[in-house]
Amino acid sequence: MATQKKKVICPKCGDEMNHHADKLVHPVTAEDASRDANATLGGLIEETHSCPGCGAVESRRAE
Amino acid sequence: MMEHRPLNIPVILGTTRKGRMSEHAARFMVGQIEKRDGVKTELIDISKLPMPVDDAGDGIKDPAFSEKMAMADALVIVSPEYNHSFPGLLKHILDSCLKEYIHKAAGIVGVSAGPFGGVRAIQDFLPVIRELGLVNIFWDVNFGNVSKVFDESGKLLDEAFVSRADKFLNELVWMAKTLRYGRDNIALDS
Repeated sequence: MATQKKKVICPKCGDEMNHHADKLVHPVTAEDASRDANATLGGLIEETHSCPGCGAVESRRAE
Repeated sequence: MMEHRPLNIPVILGTTRKGRMSEHAARFMVGQIEKRDGVKTELIDISKLPMPVDDAGDGIKDPAFSEKMAMADALVIVSPEYNHSFPGLLKHILDSCLKEYIHKAAGIVGVSAGPFGGVRAIQDFLPVIRELGLVNIFWDVNFGNVSKVFDESGKLLDEAFVSRADKFLNELVWMAKTLRYGRDNIALDS
């Protein structure tokens, strides 16, 4: 089900960024593994956001 | 489609070896890209990058390389074939980034002293490209018997590579434009 998430604002130009990918990454440290790992997916989800204005890229850990 | 920014397609020279013939191939590809309107490029020589070997991945990320990858729309990766694969230091530097590559186009240029033009290196490379989030095109450029393709100064001796590079770049530019549109405009359903 779609949920409304807070948009990422481009730190370079201030435009609203587009969330276009979720990447499964595997925790490298024990701290990451214990804190954030999604047991169902087997890792952490990193959202990737792109800026239509200037092309900048940002990422954040999915909540 | 927003076309206010030129496409940015850097060429990564993926070897640090002295006397590397891949440099000629990389400079040739830069020259071919520079002929295209609406596309900018630059040569990124991995031998010029700070590359610590006492850590890996995000731990060795170079801010300047990261910024170049973030602002790229596609990558041309020039890889020689060493012992049937691509150079370890090329993977070491590519592994230092991740978000910077996602949903961007990639094309591989293989280089070899022997006749096969780096095809084994390219085949080894494809799963790495995929895991980095890059989208590889189905054209390659294969510089086999590379010492006969360029002279010592880097002058191209076989003009057939101009049309081969042109086909490769046509596909790469199409994929780069398409993926840029997607990154900028199409939200992931979540």
